[in-house]
Amino acid sequence: METLAAALLGLFTAGYLVLGGADLGVGMLLPRLGRDGSERRLVLAAIAPFFLGNEVWLVAAAGVFIGCFPALEGDLFSGQFAVLVALLTGWIVRDAGLWWRGRAAHRAWHALCDGMVTAGSWAAALSWGWLLAGVLTGDPAEPAGGPAAALTALGVTALFAAHGVAFAALRLTGPPYERARRHTGRTGGPGTFTLTSAAMAALPLAAGARLPLADTAAQGPVLGLLVPALLAVTPLLLAAQVWLWWTFRGRVTGPSYL
Amino acid sequence: MDGSEALDLARWQFALTAAAHFLFVSLTLGLATFVTAVQTWAVLRRGSGQSAPYARMVRFWGQLYVVNYAVGIVTGIVMEFQFGLAWSGLGHYAGNVFGASLAMETVVAFFVESTFLGLWIFGWNRFGPRVHCALLWVVTGTAYLSAYWILVANGFLNHPVGHTGTGHGIELTDAGAVLTNPSALLAFGHIAGGAAVTAAFFVAGVSAYHLFRYRGTGGDGGDGGDGAALFRRSLRIAAFASPPALLVTAAFGGIQFSALASFQPMKDAVWKAEAAEIARLQADLAERFGPGDYVPSEALTRGAAMLMLLAFALMFHVSLGSALLALFRPAVERFRAWHLLLMAVVPLPYVAMTAGWVFREAGRQPWVVYGLLRTEDALSDVSAGAMRVSLAVFGTLFALLLAVNWWLLLRTARRGPEDVALGRDERAPDGEPSPGPDPVPSY
Repeated sequence: METLAAALLGLFTAGYLVLGGADLGVGMLLPRLGRDGSERRLVLAAIAPFFLGNEVWLVAAAGVFIGCFPALEGDLFSGQFAVLVALLTGWIVRDAGLWWRGRAAHRAWHALCDGMVTAGSWAAALSWGWLLAGVLTGDPAEPAGGPAAALTALGVTALFAAHGVAFAALRLTGPPYERARRHTGRTGGPGTFTLTSAAMAALPLAAGARLPLADTAAQGPVLGLLVPALLAVTPLLLAAQVWLWWTFRGRVTGPSYL
Repeated sequence: MDGSEALDLARWQFALTAAAHFLFVSLTLGLATFVTAVQTWAVLRRGSGQSAPYARMVRFWGQLYVVNYAVGIVTGIVMEFQFGLAWSGLGHYAGNVFGASLAMETVVAFFVESTFLGLWIFGWNRFGPRVHCALLWVVTGTAYLSAYWILVANGFLNHPVGHTGTGHGIELTDAGAVLTNPSALLAFGHIAGGAAVTAAFFVAGVSAYHLFRYRGTGGDGGDGGDGAALFRRSLRIAAFASPPALLVTAAFGGIQFSALASFQPMKDAVWKAEAAEIARLQADLAERFGPGDYVPSEALTRGAAMLMLLAFALMFHVSLGSALLALFRPAVERFRAWHLLLMAVVPLPYVAMTAGWVFREAGRQPWVVYGLLRTEDALSDVSAGAMRVSLAVFGTLFALLLAVNWWLLLRTARRGPEDVALGRDERAPDGEPSPGPDPVPSY
């Protein structure tokens, strides 16, 4: 049961980093991919239908974490207090920028919201880098410091950006598409995205190997109920996500509700 | 006293996050139900030539629902992470029981809700009417499921059942008892009713604003003159729905009051201001759990309960009168004093809800898990300085979110049905030049 619980935690975290990482990466590069207000709105339309369904992977991961590994969750979260406050702040600012942008029609408002999306995405990506640096190179129970941690954090942040560009190249049209493709190379597109996705998915696996998951799992009676229940609904969740992605699989040619 | 300062700060942070979250959750839950009902009606009346006004209602109220949802979700995320951030003792001690319901909430309910909400918002013109309506049913159903799981967690904190104590924590012994905990089920009924009241007062207030502005005309804001019809219908639905919703809320509230004497005798005694009983319970608890103060803040506990009941009394009179007035079309269209009253009472359900939560949560102190774990023992090992920074960050952020989102909500409400972005056909953007060189739809 502990192994299955760890696998579920890994699945939801990896799902978030692959899917949610793509929309964060696009947000980071918003000012580069779109040069004016209407281009930026198109860039945001590339992630619009997905970001809501993407971030719930992380919410679910946190839920599985507290349900299956309650003591470890508390230790890691309170140990990484500063990192998680930064992560949540970036996340909130990014989301607020996305939700609010289309609700008023002033140039300054759009610029403000675009700024919130970009700054929030950077803050979230850097926090992820910092968090993973703590787990991968240092003591998971305290924020990482030192050159190795800084390098890891920057490397992870760069990976978010690369992943975002690869995703943008698959979704966009027009000048923003041309700009994204310049970074992914001529043959880029699906190939680059597969590569960055694999790298993203590898991160939580490496992190999980460093955490004492087996020793800190919840007790038998809880896992015996919780894990089968979670496993039973997971195929339905995946089906709903596949439906979402299939519905909006086409490239964006116009703005969305955001 | 670094520890007690950190405790106060952490409690303030949780209280502010929960209160901010719930302001949006209550309207989300009620408005989702309202929009689902209207959209279902619109789908059923398809072909009768009368579904167009209902479809317009879905878009107008649906957009308000979506604007409101945005802040609900981000404050909810902070709530979820806060258990580990500031209250890791809770996970250590009670995580075995308490954590599982949070896991179920996020995976079984919230995950589905958000995925389907994305489909509903962005897939407006991509699905047939039946499928599109079914998406919203899933969103609303999982929203209630989400509320249920959260209240299972909260019900356990208020009235722990189905567990057994071990040396360093508790262990689940009876999952059925946890899932059917009366403290969770009664609260669920109370919350579901309260959310319906919140939405009914909101819809009535916004509709009254527009009818007030139309001054009994058709309200043709450039849209063929049926703006008034939309708001007349909305006002009537809200006015007729609010008395039964209030009764359901009050009934579940009343049962909870009577259950209090056995679940949380101290809160009951403080609410009834029985000094002798309070002293007896204090002595009794001190004997069982060691010296300490087991009396919750009397001002907060009793004050919040009084405020809740006062708000209820006001709402009750307004809603009964409104249900009667709504029977008469001239009143719906032209009774301007009533319109003003309906606008003025929109905040009342929020006052009642927030006060109700303060009564429930402040009134059970000093316990975080009633009779098992003290709030101070659940606090993470975080310095007061770090807590102060995070309270300042989240406090500022939430104040801004609340202010801007309410501004957007009122702005969207004021603009009326002529200017709704939700459900606009994005494949034929109006006014925005298509930026792509090749605007062939790929779908």
